[in-house]
Amino acid sequence: MNALDIRGLSKTFSGHVVLHGVDLTVKVGEVHALVGQNGSGKSTLIKILAGYHSPDRGATATVLDQDLELGSASAADRLNVRFVHQDLGLVNDLSITENIMLGRTYPKIAGVKINWGKAKQIARDCLARTGPPINVDRTVGEFGIAERTRIAIARALPDNDDPALIVLDEPTAALPARDVEALFATIRNLAAAGNSVILVSHHLDEILSVSDSITVLRDGVKVACVATSEVDHDRLTTLIIGGSLVKNIERPRVATGETPATVQITGLEGTALLSFSADLHPGEIVGVAGLTGSGREEVAALTIGREPRSAGTVTINGDTVDAGSPIAAMAAGMAWICGERARFGVFSTMSVGTNLTISDLAPHTVVGRLDHRSERAETARWIDDLGIVASGPDAAMTTLSGGNQQKVLVARALRLEPAFLVLDDPTAGIDVGAREQVHGIITDHASASMSVLITSTDSDELARLCDRVLVMSRGRVVAELRRGVDLDAPSIDHAQVAGASA
Amino acid sequence: MSTDTTKPVVSPAARRSLKSSSGATSTPLSVTLGRYSAIILWAGFTILFGILRPDTFLSSVTWRLTFSEGVVTAIVALAFLVPLAAGVYDLSVGATMGTGLVLMNWFGLNHPGLPPWQVAIGVLAFCALIGFCSAVVIVKFRVQSLIATLGVSQVLLAFQLFMANNRQLTGAFESSWLDLGNGQVLGIPVVALYLLVLAVLMWFVLEHTPVGRRLFAVGSNPEAARLAGLNVERLTYGSLMTSAVIGGFAGIVFSMKVGTYNSSVGPGLLFPALAAVFFGASQFARRPNVWGTLIAYFALAFGVKGLQLTFGPGTFWIQPLFQGAALLIAVALASRVVGQTRRSRQLQREAAADDAQAAGEATPPPR
Repeated sequence: MNALDIRGLSKTFSGHVVLHGVDLTVKVGEVHALVGQNGSGKSTLIKILAGYHSPDRGATATVLDQDLELGSASAADRLNVRFVHQDLGLVNDLSITENIMLGRTYPKIAGVKINWGKAKQIARDCLARTGPPINVDRTVGEFGIAERTRIAIARALPDNDDPALIVLDEPTAALPARDVEALFATIRNLAAAGNSVILVSHHLDEILSVSDSITVLRDGVKVACVATSEVDHDRLTTLIIGGSLVKNIERPRVATGETPATVQITGLEGTALLSFSADLHPGEIVGVAGLTGSGREEVAALTIGREPRSAGTVTINGDTVDAGSPIAAMAAGMAWICGERARFGVFSTMSVGTNLTISDLAPHTVVGRLDHRSERAETARWIDDLGIVASGPDAAMTTLSGGNQQKVLVARALRLEPAFLVLDDPTAGIDVGAREQVHGIITDHASASMSVLITSTDSDELARLCDRVLVMSRGRVVAELRRGVDLDAPSIDHAQVAGASA
Repeated sequence: MSTDTTKPVVSPAARRSLKSSSGATSTPLSVTLGRYSAIILWAGFTILFGILRPDTFLSSVTWRLTFSEGVVTAIVALAFLVPLAAGVYDLSVGATMGTGLVLMNWFGLNHPGLPPWQVAIGVLAFCALIGFCSAVVIVKFRVQSLIATLGVSQVLLAFQLFMANNRQLTGAFESSWLDLGNGQVLGIPVVALYLLVLAVLMWFVLEHTPVGRRLFAVGSNPEAARLAGLNVERLTYGSLMTSAVIGGFAGIVFSMKVGTYNSSVGPGLLFPALAAVFFGASQFARRPNVWGTLIAYFALAFGVKGLQLTFGPGTFWIQPLFQGAALLIAVALASRVVGQTRRSRQLQREAAADDAQAAGEATPPPR
């Protein structure tokens, strides 16, 4: 009898196979790790288990020998398969009791008044199964991330003492290193009490120290299911990345080492980012890679001043740029494309033309009046130049596809003719064709006088575009890969995974 | 992603769904009619009451009167429009108008020697200061504009009651000042010309200058505006100060026209002004705009006037009913349009998410 038995699980999105005949077996009372790179299919597997996606025909699953209908959230819940996601989903303003009672039925006195004594007892019981007692009257916001994770786990536990299968999705991504041990204690307590745990994580050393067995996914296929005691770090890394490390150099570029660096980023510090420094030469494209939680997410935001930084300086041609001010950054010769297009880039109620020209209206202003005709003409040129699919300069921005909206934002940045271009995940959430086109635009327009910084989750993208890639882990740069020496997508992947476990 | 990964292919189905959601550019008739509904309404009222009451409703006196009565409220509406373009609600416009009026009359009564135009300049400067204070509360203390300006309007009301000593206050102006508010030029009430000049000026600034463009950008997405290099704080300060100055100007015009202050004058104008702006924002380009606001306001004003002429003095309750209904219907229609674009965006997101999934789960799908 196994806590979970999945056989032949496949999933196809729009004709693309994301999972192919995956088997997963979790024994009762074990901590089972699920590992793989971004895009290996592990998050799809978890989402199918949680009932968010439906699997393709032919998959079967059992929980403790009872049939589980995959793709149904209520079926999973009924069989005590519970999920704790990375964002935890707690309400920080409410007490622990109130948080644990969310989604449960409050015990009542005479059918009307909440029986708080009993409710607190339920909360205490749930917490007790994960570790030492905490005062359940305190609000969740008072606690650190480690305790909050524990409270979220306690909330996920079933009311009765039935054994449960707890799925922890990237629980340590946001966790400071010293708190990881506390979380492991919680996980071990859970397993010791007869529960089973599926742990999804990028951090190999954590997996090696807490799990009992490991399933490795690669490109939607289960490549291994091993007992943790049988593998070491290197073996696991090889299993995850697979294949040989083939060098992949598509775009040789001249070395720019002789010219002095025009852009200097020194000691940038944010919340997860502890220290980031980089010197960029004119004409150079530098990439920043790193897994979720490595600090890579913050590099662009701190560089352009979207978020205030705790420390560090950005210098362009010897001039220091004021921190936390996009206006100052733009005045110093920077331009950028932020991630999260809808939130940070697009004016959804305005036209393509107004979206494109908003950062610099001076070329179209004649004695204080906007010259709509010259503005339209310039917009039409960019539409032509970048192959933006739009009915014209006056088309509403919302009528464009995501990829074409992104190209409009690329044009908005490029027309400023920046000395330093910052691209934060420039192809996130756009389709493959548009991704190719955006790559083409970047390489075509990266002139000899422009330095480009690209942060990306896509190793392939970085390997294709960059002269150098800085790999981040735990808030710091842990590796630097150079074009023509050791830069290719597998090396980036390897450095990311290896760095996370170093 | 390892190099031996075959390039994922976007399915034709995903492309089709993307196209069908984004390619639909033909506008349904109901939307087009909705964009001109204020003009249609105005024409309808003119025809209806022209038939019912040809002698009174179609007389030039009625039209002149309705325009000249409506000018002050319409100016207050234009004041509300400026910060609204930047996504900031200034609910203190009515109170600012009242403040302008009480100051004019107080000086007119207590310092009859001062020329009214000098007082008027002082009043405009004072109103600019009011707008500055509202902006400080909103920008520096990060109070929501709705709350901040509601608070400011009550403080202003207290100031007015103090100045007027809780009584009506009539300025004793020389007749030349009152002529400025009651005269006619070529049969058109002169105050209506003030409104027209202000409207043309505002239309030019909002639609044909970089400042107007930036205001709308801030109103559309403040965070994106900041990241596009716009000075969002300065635009917020500027829009609130402009709105307060225009509100003060409304008070000055009122002092020329009628002259009497009482504490219900300013706050009473807020709602009709607001209804006109929101109704107007559903017109033409379907965003806050000058001509939509004015046409919406006067369409409603003529409707009220026609009803009053037809059904007699017992219909004093008509005006708030009319304006309330207009606001509700206009905003409901506008949010239906917004709902449509949101739906199309949702479709786009889903298609994009599917593509991303197919491309190897680069982004999690929206929840």
